[in-house]
Amino acid sequence: MTASTETDVRRAPLPIFGKAFADGRRALLGWGIGIAAAIFLYLPLYPSMIGTSEMQKLIDSLPRALIRTLNYDQISTGAGYTQATVFGLIGFLLMSIASIGWGAAMLGGDEESGQLELTLAHGVTRVQVVVERFAALVLKVLLITALMFVLIALLNGPSQLGIDVGYLAQTCLLFAGLVLLCGSVAMLGGALTGRKVWGIGAGAFVAVVGYVFNALGNQSADLEWLHGLSPYYWAFGNYPMTNGAPPLALLAFYGGSLLVAAVTALVLRQRDIGV
Amino acid sequence: MSHVETASWPHPGASSPPTDAAIQAVEITKRFGSTQALHGVTFTVPRGSVFGVIGPNGAGKTTTMRALLDIIRPSSGHATVLGTDSRNAGPELRRRIGFLPGELILEGRITGRKLLQHYADISGPVRTGHIEELAERFHLDLAQPVRKLSRGNKQKLGIVQAFMHEPELLVLDEPTSGLDPLMQQEFLLLVKEARDAGQTVFLSSHVISEIQQAADEVAILRDGRIITVASVEALRQTAVRHLRMTATGIRPADLSERLGRLDGMAGLVCMAVTSPAGAAATEATATLEGAIQPFIQAVSTLDLTDLVLEEPDLEESVLALYTAPEDSAESHRASRATRTARGSRAERKEPK
Repeated sequence: MTASTETDVRRAPLPIFGKAFADGRRALLGWGIGIAAAIFLYLPLYPSMIGTSEMQKLIDSLPRALIRTLNYDQISTGAGYTQATVFGLIGFLLMSIASIGWGAAMLGGDEESGQLELTLAHGVTRVQVVVERFAALVLKVLLITALMFVLIALLNGPSQLGIDVGYLAQTCLLFAGLVLLCGSVAMLGGALTGRKVWGIGAGAFVAVVGYVFNALGNQSADLEWLHGLSPYYWAFGNYPMTNGAPPLALLAFYGGSLLVAAVTALVLRQRDIGV
Repeated sequence: MSHVETASWPHPGASSPPTDAAIQAVEITKRFGSTQALHGVTFTVPRGSVFGVIGPNGAGKTTTMRALLDIIRPSSGHATVLGTDSRNAGPELRRRIGFLPGELILEGRITGRKLLQHYADISGPVRTGHIEELAERFHLDLAQPVRKLSRGNKQKLGIVQAFMHEPELLVLDEPTSGLDPLMQQEFLLLVKEARDAGQTVFLSSHVISEIQQAADEVAILRDGRIITVASVEALRQTAVRHLRMTATGIRPADLSERLGRLDGMAGLVCMAVTSPAGAAATEATATLEGAIQPFIQAVSTLDLTDLVLEEPDLEESVLALYTAPEDSAESHRASRATRTARGSRAERKEPK
């Protein structure tokens, strides 16, 4: 056992990050395909919708409450349409599910399966595990969002969306931040309890409550204060596709996610694992 | 258990820790909510030795091992592992340890080779080709995705993972579970080689024969307490032998009287039988604990037609320790040391 100095010391530079990212490659590809399919489904429909007066009639015939809930009030512009359908609805749904799933599995699921115990018995620190896995989450979310940016920008011309690419980029950043916040909270939930299901619950709480508070706040002035509690509203309430991203919202999402990650590291440091 | 050197409390080594100890656990307690998993566990594992811990499920074996690796934190007490306090020990300490968890769950599409490479990345350096050598010894196919491996093969992967960086200390929780007998022998050989190379092995089992073959010293853990620390040899001396003998020319009552006087003789049954040749004979069965010389002398003048004195059964004597009657028969809710273990057991007072 006298460890000779001639031993092969080849080590991956960021082993935890590398494995966290590599293990999720297939899933990442799957989510990417899902998002791309949604984009290709919604956006090419836009020219056929604005051209016809029937569509506007249909929208007008819907109850105001429903339109506000679905955020379809700006749907007659390409930017509003893209925000309402891709970012605000199907994209948000898909990506928050993906991000929450990644976040919850990262520590809670890993502990539940007994593998975290083995990882922590090796030459790593708990803080390092949290930081590297959080970094993998950030990268995954950003990669999917980058894909969304590219696809929407590609369809901008053919689908006559008339989107300002700068605002699109800002909206993508906001969107990624919102989704990342949900995933980070899921990671924290998993780290606190050692159970994946609590992580999913915590992450879904942020996503669902954010969505519901936004929808309720849209209904009447009396409920508008709910917007302040809705991360969803922070992202989309000011129509970033036409007005750009509010810096405060970006700060809330990215700063908040980092803060949640830091709390996660502190929590995991204190806990007994696998009990 | 009269011949077993009973661990006095606190352990003699506790006050003056030997500097060459690989593990020095001092009065470790662990409480999970309302259950007390460890009640002050104290033991010393000398460097270069194989130290086994046996005990029923839920005795605290897994909790003790996790505490040594800082996976869980003791409620009180402390452990020194390879000269470093285990609490908040850095990655450098854990690189020098090989750990095999008790409930090894390995999943995923990743192949065995890639998974081992990952663990090599986060532990001590691994000698080139060593993973392949170990895999070959255990007939383990490293190209298979981990999730497709059988339980035994996953366990082999866990063993390779623990041994591959040739750590100074191996902490192995139920290492042979799921292995077939041939592979169990291979594992025991690996442990022997590790000891010969100067590595220290701390392993748990509920299979006594395995500890018997591999370990120099044994700690018996029950309800979160170490009942006994003894050498395997000392344990063996306390073990009972099963005895069966047939003699002619003596009546059952006489034989019963002659054998019944001996120390350590228990469960003696003498009865009249007919030998295959048709002669009247007496058969005796019993268990014998301790020295056999008095017994041999007692039967030397008899006309023996058959005598079977079996090898001491360590298992039996250890099981007796698991369930030994209480000094104070105090009913006690079972401590739940691991997730899986449940059941009610009586609490034993600490040996004085």
